[in-house]
Amino acid sequence: MPPQIFSSAITLDGRTDGAVDSREKLLEFCFDYCYWSVDPADPHYASQEEVFQDLGVSVLSGASEGYNVCLFAYGQTGSGKTYTMMGTPDSIGLTPRICQVHHWIQDVVFSLCPRSFLEIYNERVRDLLRQGEQKKRASLRVREHPEKGPYVQDLSQHVVSDCKQAMDLLEEGIANRITAATHNHDASSRSHAIFTIQYTQATLENNLPSETVSKINLVDLAGSERADPHYCRDRLTEGSNINKSLVTLGIVISALAQNSQMSSSCQSINSMASEGDGSMVGSHSSSLSGGGGGGGRRHCFIPYRDSVLTWLLKDSLGGNSKTIMIATVSPSANSYNETLSTLRYAAHARNIVNKPRVNEDANVRLIRELREEIDRLKSMLLSFEMRNPSPSLSDERDGNLSEIVLQNELKVTQGRHRWLHLPDRQCSSQLIKPVFFHLI
Amino acid sequence: MASLGSDVWRAICDKFTNAQNLTESRNDPENDPFRSKYKARELLREIYCSLKSFEAVDGEEDSSGESGDQRPIEPPVDGQREDVFGQGFSGDSPAGLRAAKLGAIEYYLGVNHIDTEELSAGQEHLMNCMKLLERCRVSSENVSLFIHVRNQLGILWAGRDETETAQGFLETAEYIYQRYMKEQTLALVFFFYVSSLYSARLTHSPFDFLQFSFLRFELAYTHTMYYLAQVYKNLGETERAATYCHTTLQRQLKLNQFSPMEWALNAATLSQYYITKGRYMEGRHCLSAATVISGLAGEVPSEAAAQESETESERREQLRQKRAEIARCWIKYCLNLLQDAKKLLEDNIGELDTDRQEELKRARRREEEEEEEEEKGRKNALLFGSEDTFDSIASLEEKVNCLSPLEFTEARAIFLVGQNYVTQAKEFFQMDGYVTDHIEILQDHSALFRGLAFFEEDLERRCKMHKRRVDMLEPICIDLNAQYYLLIRRQLMFELAETYNEMMDLKLSLANRQADTQSLDNHTIKKFNSLCSASIKYFQMFLDSLCSPEGKLPEHLEEEVLRPALVARFRVARLYSRLICSLPSIQLDNLNKSLENYKYVAQYCEAHPEAAAAVETELELSKEMVDLLPLKINRIKARMALNN
Repeated sequence: MPPQIFSSAITLDGRTDGAVDSREKLLEFCFDYCYWSVDPADPHYASQEEVFQDLGVSVLSGASEGYNVCLFAYGQTGSGKTYTMMGTPDSIGLTPRICQVHHWIQDVVFSLCPRSFLEIYNERVRDLLRQGEQKKRASLRVREHPEKGPYVQDLSQHVVSDCKQAMDLLEEGIANRITAATHNHDASSRSHAIFTIQYTQATLENNLPSETVSKINLVDLAGSERADPHYCRDRLTEGSNINKSLVTLGIVISALAQNSQMSSSCQSINSMASEGDGSMVGSHSSSLSGGGGGGGRRHCFIPYRDSVLTWLLKDSLGGNSKTIMIATVSPSANSYNETLSTLRYAAHARNIVNKPRVNEDANVRLIRELREEIDRLKSMLLSFEMRNPSPSLSDERDGNLSEIVLQNELKVTQGRHRWLHLPDRQCSSQLIKPVFFHLI
Repeated sequence: MASLGSDVWRAICDKFTNAQNLTESRNDPENDPFRSKYKARELLREIYCSLKSFEAVDGEEDSSGESGDQRPIEPPVDGQREDVFGQGFSGDSPAGLRAAKLGAIEYYLGVNHIDTEELSAGQEHLMNCMKLLERCRVSSENVSLFIHVRNQLGILWAGRDETETAQGFLETAEYIYQRYMKEQTLALVFFFYVSSLYSARLTHSPFDFLQFSFLRFELAYTHTMYYLAQVYKNLGETERAATYCHTTLQRQLKLNQFSPMEWALNAATLSQYYITKGRYMEGRHCLSAATVISGLAGEVPSEAAAQESETESERREQLRQKRAEIARCWIKYCLNLLQDAKKLLEDNIGELDTDRQEELKRARRREEEEEEEEEKGRKNALLFGSEDTFDSIASLEEKVNCLSPLEFTEARAIFLVGQNYVTQAKEFFQMDGYVTDHIEILQDHSALFRGLAFFEEDLERRCKMHKRRVDMLEPICIDLNAQYYLLIRRQLMFELAETYNEMMDLKLSLANRQADTQSLDNHTIKKFNSLCSASIKYFQMFLDSLCSPEGKLPEHLEEEVLRPALVARFRVARLYSRLICSLPSIQLDNLNKSLENYKYVAQYCEAHPEAAAAVETELELSKEMVDLLPLKINRIKARMALNN
């Protein structure tokens, strides 16, 4: 299995192997990095170490800055996701490398970093590090905690004291995953695995000890072609395809409601891009809107549950996290379609970060009041200039200025009764009020 | 049929049953995924050959039939509409039956090829089927096939991005069904489904068989509706798509082909579509049906039962969750109804416009007097429900209005229904375990209060409603983990800031309304200032949340926080200038802070010209204030100098 680690400008050329396909299209996709690791002899060959230096190091630095970091690999089965994330004994991948280096940092800052390792198969969560009889427990529940954020209930946490233990833990988890594979043919390519390191940093803030907690999620996603075990049944077909089975009716209706909600709230530019489009990050559009005060938008609730994976990575896909996505593709022309869809997905994934927006009341009143104040200030300025034509306004040391201002002031306060009897909406003129109370 | 020997006939039936079983097989190995389907194909071909040979033996009327084979290949457009009811052999003539039988096998071969991803071959078989049917008039023996084959062609062409072609086939299927049903209502009992001709011997009661075929026919049409919904959706005809989804749901219910929870959830989702379109009557009907039908899914297993078994526990979780989700759809119904009414009734500063209110009330009375037949027809066309659910759906609908509330009592009724669903939804979506969902529900609850407050004339009570909003949101905003719930907290902060601002305005209005004397009393001033400071605090908290972990303000504001951030600055500026204080030095301080924030808005937009469009008015006012506020500041300075 030639490993493909990749993610920068990819040119997809259907012509390279005319025997398979007669496509004449040349497609280009741009990414931040791009690696070629088919043949170690190739001058462009990218080693595991090189990938780690680019991506792994930024994961670690992100975590030490206090961000949640998520790194996941996406692609067709056999294109090298697991190789990239886990590696082989001879050529270890990102996860073990991050574990090693991380451990080294950990010694320095003296903090505990519990690890956990889980697998999501068929929307069920399994603990890969659970020992003994508890192993049998079917599926763990995914929950959200006000303090801890999204978490898996009863997931075992493991604190390790050295690098060797960390590696043992990782291997144990991988072994557990492989065991499952024998029961379910091809299970590993259908399951997602998430290795999580909790990273606690003790710091001093204003001489008070404080803790920054961040999470590193390392995700080995299921093969892109079958990430969803109900692939054919439940996935909304793309483009103009028609879903045959009525089982998908719910998805069609959800899409209708969602589109209609978006188009009614589409005054603000780009608001559509932030909504998941039903793929992995298909979070139901949270009832949040863009700015632009008012407008005729209506928000609705679409009872379409996130997948377990989306739920667990919620905070990673949100605003305050750093997310790195690795798309793995195969160079074979046979895989043209899968490669294309992987690349499209990856290009698209840049936009599907879950960014809810802040609601805002249209505050016409405030604006009106302020306009009134501005008018008042302007007229004051005008009368002031008329009486005192020469000195500039900003000249604070002008002796005469104070007196003139004071006279002005007294005039204004004399108007206080009038102010008090104004209808209540217009009464909050700050220009007068503070002065007024001061003089009383 | 009579001409086939019974042994031969039985053999064909058995073969067909085998083929059907093979088609449905799920046990094919990964590396040979279509093994069973290929076997089924062989059997279907054998059947086809047997039928053909019989045809040769007793082909009395074949002359007209065979000519069809020589026709030129037609374009893939469904040209059959009127003629299928007028021309050709009658469906129950021997020739018609033969054509239908052969057509059915062609149909199954077509589906088989499509299943194995041989689309062109599949298309050819399906078109052969079309050609065979072309020679027949629509009758009970073949009408189902007429529909089925078009459904398949619709899917096929949609898959090729030829949506209009797909639309053509599906709309013809729709037409054939409707026309047929119109002409055949009495003959319904005699429905035959052509594939059942072969499996007839296998059923024991002819009655079972009739019912079965009737259902197959109706289900085929349900699918036509569903496919058309998707075709219209893909063509961007959202409204039509929604109507066809609605019909699909209606038919599932009528034919008793649904799982209650799934159906209920789909209906609830459809209600959300209607709500975004402002069609509350339809939305309410979907929701009422959803609630009633979800009741058919049975009782929620008790907690004790859930602890006993894993399946019960899962069932309990599922039922509770889905019912809570339906409740959340109801909340949105009430909320949007209130908010729409507010938009309808508010004047240019967001207060109730009483003239407009009277006008709308008059219009409402007129409408009620002359409720049109057309309107009633529209309502009837949408109705869900079988005999036993119909009444419960209707009675649920009566509990909440679907017209915009025009006065407090109406608004309150809607508010209370919404609040009731808030309680229901929160029972499942608890804070511990479902943080995001729980807070979203609270935000809706707060918004319900806000909607109701608009209708409340008593300022004191209006203020209390806003206080309720603060009370439900504030503790959460403070307790939530700032890192995991950053985004939701930002929303809460903004809302809290605005609510405090609102309360501050109300307090002042109240004080001014009551104050016959010359001044606000100390208590009021204190209250006013504390509300003002609270508002500033939350806006500031929001702004702080945009800072980097080291506490630095970002150089560049992300698109989705750009407007909120600048608006927050603008409002902080305003609030600082509104704080009432007697000490000039503090007042000066506040005005300087105010100026600083106005300046930020102006300067940010100067450095990032693209930002100006997002905050047009705020920018214009900020710029003015940057020019004018120093005047006020200087005045105070001057006065201070004078007093010293």
